Parts: sequence; C-alpha cells; structure tokens
Amino acid sequence: MCEITKEQVFDAISTVIDPEVGFNLVEMGLIYDAIVEESCNVVVVMTLSTRGCPLHQMIKTWVQEAVEKLDGVGVVEVDVVWEPEWNISMADDNVKEALSGGMPS
Amino acid sequence: MTPISKDFAPPLKLVAPFFKTGVIFYLIAMMSLLAFSATFSYQEMAVAGWVHLFLLGFVMVIIFGAMAQLIPVVLEVGHAIVDLYYVILPLLAIGTVMMITGFWLHPALLPYGGLLVLVAMITFAIEAFATLKKAEIKTLTVKTVAVTNAYLLLGILTGFAIALGLNGSLSIDVDTMLKAHVYAVLGGFVLLTIMGLSMTLIPMFSLAHGFDETPVRRGFNLVAIGVGMVFISALIGIETVQWLGYLITLLGVIFYIYQIYIIYKLTVRKEMDIWAKSMLFGFATLLLSLLLGVVYLLGASEPWLHTSVWFFMLGFIGFLINGHLYKIVPFLVWFERFAPLVGKEKVPMLHEMYPKKKAEMMFWYSSGGTILGGLGLFVQNDFLFHAGAGFMTVGAFFLYLSMREMLGYGDK
Repeated sequence: MCEITKEQVFDAISTVIDPEVGFNLVEMGLIYDAIVEESCNVVVVMTLSTRGCPLHQMIKTWVQEAVEKLDGVGVVEVDVVWEPEWNISMADDNVKEALSGGMPS
Repeated sequence: MTPISKDFAPPLKLVAPFFKTGVIFYLIAMMSLLAFSATFSYQEMAVAGWVHLFLLGFVMVIIFGAMAQLIPVVLEVGHAIVDLYYVILPLLAIGTVMMITGFWLHPALLPYGGLLVLVAMITFAIEAFATLKKAEIKTLTVKTVAVTNAYLLLGILTGFAIALGLNGSLSIDVDTMLKAHVYAVLGGFVLLTIMGLSMTLIPMFSLAHGFDETPVRRGFNLVAIGVGMVFISALIGIETVQWLGYLITLLGVIFYIYQIYIIYKLTVRKEMDIWAKSMLFGFATLLLSLLLGVVYLLGASEPWLHTSVWFFMLGFIGFLINGHLYKIVPFLVWFERFAPLVGKEKVPMLHEMYPKKKAEMMFWYSSGGTILGGLGLFVQNDFLFHAGAGFMTVGAFFLYLSMREMLGYGDK
C-alpha cells in the first residue's frame, strides 16, 4: 500500500513557479489531478495557462522532478491536457487579486 | 485529452542578433527623422530611403527574429532548416544598408541591395513554407505564416522590379509598381503578420481566455482579400477594384480592432506594465490612423494621409513591436540562462529582467514624440515635427539601452 497522498503530490508541485506570473502552478489552478497508484506510481494531470506556451516542455519536466523528490515515489508521469481550458476562476483568490491589481476582474 | 509536443525553440545566439540589429536600425531611423521636414512627397528618394530603413531594418528584422522563435512554438514542430536564419540576418542587414545608401546617396547601389534583400526574404519564405509543411495543427497563426509569406514574395518581387526600373535596367511604370509594392508589403505582410501573431501573443501575456476568434478570422480574411484587390488594381489600373479593396481592408481592420476589444475585456492581468501601456498606445494610434486615412480617402489634403501613415508606422507598428520586445527578450534570456537552474537555485522572474525605469523613459519619450511628430506633419510645422523626432530619438536610445541590459542579464 502506497503512503503518498494526493496532498503531498500537490505540495511538491507547489514548489514549481511560473516565471512569467510569479505564482506556483497549484495556486494558479493549473494542476487538475494527481493520481497515486498502489504501486506509488504517480500521474499528474495538468494544463498550462496558454496553448503555445514556449515553456511547456520545461514546466512538464519541473513538475515531474518535483514529484520525484517524494520519498518512495515510483514512476512519475505528467499529462498536459487542454480540456477543460484553464481560466482565471480556477486560480486561488490571492492570484486573482494580485493579477487584477486590486481591480475587479 | 490532447497531449502537447516537444519544445523546438532555437538558441538565443541565433535570435538575439535579430533584436539587437533591429533596435540599432530603429535608433538610426529615429535620428535620421531630424533631417526631414514636415512637408514632403512620397516620390522623394530620401523619403523612400527612410521608409525602407524603418520597415526593412527595424520591422522586418524584428519580425524575422520573432518568427524564428515563434514559428516552432506555434506550429509545434521544429524549423525545417533553422541554420538558414544565420544567413538571413546578414543578407537582410547588408542589403538594407546598401538600399538606403542607394536611396540617399548612390542610386546605382539600389538593385544590388535589393538583390540581397530579395535573397534574404526568399530564404525566409522558403524556410517558413518548409516548416509549415511539417505542421499538423491549423490555427490562425499558421494561416498567417502561409498568407503573409505569399504577400511577402509578391512584395519583394515588385520591389526588386522597382529597383531595376529606377536603375534603368527594366522598363516599367514605377508609380504603378510602387503602389502594388506598398500594399503587398505593408498590408499583406506587416499588417497581417501583426494581426496573426497578436492573436497568440496578446492573450498569452494578458492571460485572456475563452473568447471567440470569429472577428479576427473574418478580419484576417477581409484584409487578405482587400489587399489582394488593391494589389491587382494597382497593376491593371481598375479604380473600382482599388476602392472596393480599400473598403474591404478597412472593414477587416475594424473586425480586428473589435477582436482586440473583446480580448481586452477578458484580460485577467490588469497591471499597467510597459507591455500593456505599449499595446494601449499602439491600438489608440491605429484607431487614429484609420480615422485620418478614411478622411483622406474622402477627399482631404495630403497631410491627412501623411499623419495617418505616421501613426500607423510609428504608433501602431512601432509600439506593438517595442512593447513585445520587453516580454520576448527577457523570456529568451531566461530560457537560455536560468531555465536549467530551476530547482537548483533561486532564479529571477521575467518581470525582474527588464530595466523598468529605462522602459518607462522609452515609453514616455517615444509616445510623446509620436504625438508631437504626428501633429507636426498634420499642421506642416517643422518645429513640432523635429521636436517629435528628437523625443523619439531619446526614446529609441532608451530602447537600445534596455535591449543591451536585457540581453546582458545574467551573462557571466
């Protein structure tokens, strides 16, 4: 039985920062799911804030490397998906507030 | 679930020289405005020289550099022959210098400079088409690359014919060919390229999502058709087709502006950074340019046309390009120098990698200069026009300093 929880995976990914906006991927709402299998293999389902993001391959690698730092983790796979399309309502309130500069978004 | 492809971005050492060279040409173009007066004719060789300095040296060089970086990202395939870009820049830069020298000092140099530019652009177009053939996705930006390159080929062929005509090697009606050349390059390549690329870049930087792209698609098709009609009418001399072409182009640009308005309303990032300010100023000057252009077409005097073209080139094109440089260049530098350090040490955020004070100076001097210069042209006042040119030169100098600082960030 694997002891890694979904929360631990999300915590690990929250160390990955989007250099354009300065927030981590979890608070941006870009991580849709983290499936932890019994064998401790992990599948992260995520998206990016824009299709054609020039950093897509790197961000995918950073997420994989962040999760691989968890003790006892098996194979980590990152699936980048475009459905559902990301929008700002998926982000945490602090991100919404910071991006809108205090103005209603 | 749709997976995404690998990263095919070319190295910084390939793309950076395009931006450096483009900014130097921009600085020279702004400085040389001081030598012009507020009253002129389009037929003057000196004016043609300045237009080529701005459009070839600054606009084309930067667009080619941006395309080198963006084409693989947007098409999600690698360049067909990326190393060709190492040849394109020197050919284009030397060809431009020779052409400008031809226009300003020694007309005999024109066809030789033109030939180098022709080879550079054909090389660019062939590489772009070869890369397109590999692409599987069909977005508006993909269509942009195809259509604009077709117009670019038409534009450079007519331009080369003009160079031969001016030199006496070819017997053509230079005025007719000039019209076709201007529409193909300015409308068919520059305007359509900006329309297509901005649909990738503006939503990306403003984080706008979930908008309908119908207006820009209609706008793109209308401008492509309208420019084609004006191009053909210039060659065959049917005035009705030309007017219909103008009308259709105008309608297309209005659709595009409406699309930008839709994106603006959905913009998540409200921060007024150098990019956002430049976009606002650029689109405001586009509206002004349209207004002045329409009044001119309805029968107003030459200064209306001159001011319209001024705001289109120095306001809309200039600010859209310069504003994006403050986003694209830090990204390229970050990607090259800091991306490999992520997770190992603290890396800068992109917004920390451009000099904010110099960017502000660039914006305020350049925007003030654009307004003053435009006013000078409109009322045909040399003092106002030169004041504008002076301001724009200072703005261009701050752009040059910004570019140096951005490209040097983190260089050990």
